Amino acid sequence: MVTQSILIMYVVGALLGLISGFVMHRSDYCMAGMFRDLFMFRKTFRLRALGLQIVLTMIAFEVFRLLGLLPLYPFPILGTPSLANIMGGFLFGIGMVLAGGCVVGTLYKMGAGSLLSACAFVGLLLGSGIYAEIHPWWKAVIKQTTFFADYLTLSQLTGLSPVFFVLVVTVVTLPIFLKWRGQHQWEIKSRVAGYLQPWKTGVVLAGVGLFSYLLIGMPLGITTVYAKMAAMLENVFSPGHVAGLAFFQGKPLDVIHPASGTLLVGGAGPLVDYLWVIQFPLVVGIVLGSTLSALLLGEFKIYWRLPARQFLITLVGGTLLGLASRMVPGCNVWHLMGGLPIFALQSILFLFGLLPGVWVGSRLLSRLLLVKSST
Amino acid sequence: MTDQAAKLIEIDTRGQVCPSTLLVALDNMNRYQEDLYSGKMKLLIRTDNRDATTTIPDTAENMGYEIEVRQQDGFYEILISRPE
Repeated sequence: MVTQSILIMYVVGALLGLISGFVMHRSDYCMAGMFRDLFMFRKTFRLRALGLQIVLTMIAFEVFRLLGLLPLYPFPILGTPSLANIMGGFLFGIGMVLAGGCVVGTLYKMGAGSLLSACAFVGLLLGSGIYAEIHPWWKAVIKQTTFFADYLTLSQLTGLSPVFFVLVVTVVTLPIFLKWRGQHQWEIKSRVAGYLQPWKTGVVLAGVGLFSYLLIGMPLGITTVYAKMAAMLENVFSPGHVAGLAFFQGKPLDVIHPASGTLLVGGAGPLVDYLWVIQFPLVVGIVLGSTLSALLLGEFKIYWRLPARQFLITLVGGTLLGLASRMVPGCNVWHLMGGLPIFALQSILFLFGLLPGVWVGSRLLSRLLLVKSST
Repeated sequence: MTDQAAKLIEIDTRGQVCPSTLLVALDNMNRYQEDLYSGKMKLLIRTDNRDATTTIPDTAENMGYEIEVRQQDGFYEILISRPE
């Protein structure tokens, strides 16, 4: 009955964020890095942990759905699949590699003192704000490229129960996971204090996602509040312009939470609404959880003297990331840790766009970073 | 004896965007491979990137180098030297 009280929602969100930020910092659980390393260094060590997290989340969501504890299924805000999910995912992939972190990696790195991630964060707000300007045009693109207007998930599309898909994925992945265990591929030799093996963070984050879904009615999401923050800032300088933008009037969140009967309504507009109550404490929690972890390890330190080029790269990357988050719509946390586990069609398409995007981003970034040392 | 004469190349990637540390480290390990293997040079990397403290040693060890990781005040030093 968390949604009965706004105060409890703030506390729960902040706690989930604190836990996430803390463990992500310990493992350097960077999703941008996971996908980038696959292409740049042919390394899959950390990506495996994400695979484990997704499969665990999938099983957990299905078990709790069958128990009747997830009445909002598929969860709110999720939309119908369109080409926009792929195109947005592609830009998102480029953006997150250049930004040096995804929409949540940027938060925990910023929390640990990274100035460049703070720069990427500014880009995230900027990109989210820019989206509001192109929203009417992009909305038309989404409408024209929608594949199935009535289906949100693979099970709705095929008429098969989600149990079927969960079983298939489990049967396919379990032997692989066990094989990796036999080969000791889940753990890596660490040379630093306080290192948490990434698979453990994957398990914790699967738990955090489940709690979020059970308590608030949807898995973790954070990027709409970036657009909201952008709107709030813009509203200080140009309220008339903000009021005239259709994107800031929309209410993608509009659902009655069955457990409490509370009407949860919210959008990207510059107001404190339920979307703010759900996402903002999470954002603050992640940053502070990471700061706490870094302080405890004696690692919190801000470095100011950095190559100017890298400020530009992370700012552009962050802007692309913010823009793409709204174009998809949704981010990697929402789609990979929430949507993919319930076989949301949008999330599957997002992944299809994300991979080539990361590949392009990786090639770009290696060039941009190594140019200097050869001159 | 070669240790005394070894020239130390210092690289500072503290605060830089990922994966600068690993990229620059690899670049230098390849560029100075001969001198590193013969013991004429050593490579000292300063980084605040937690991930780099596992990826660089792993890669360097695979290439046969000796590795030492030390925590300093708010950052890490990774020393790469010739194989024992």
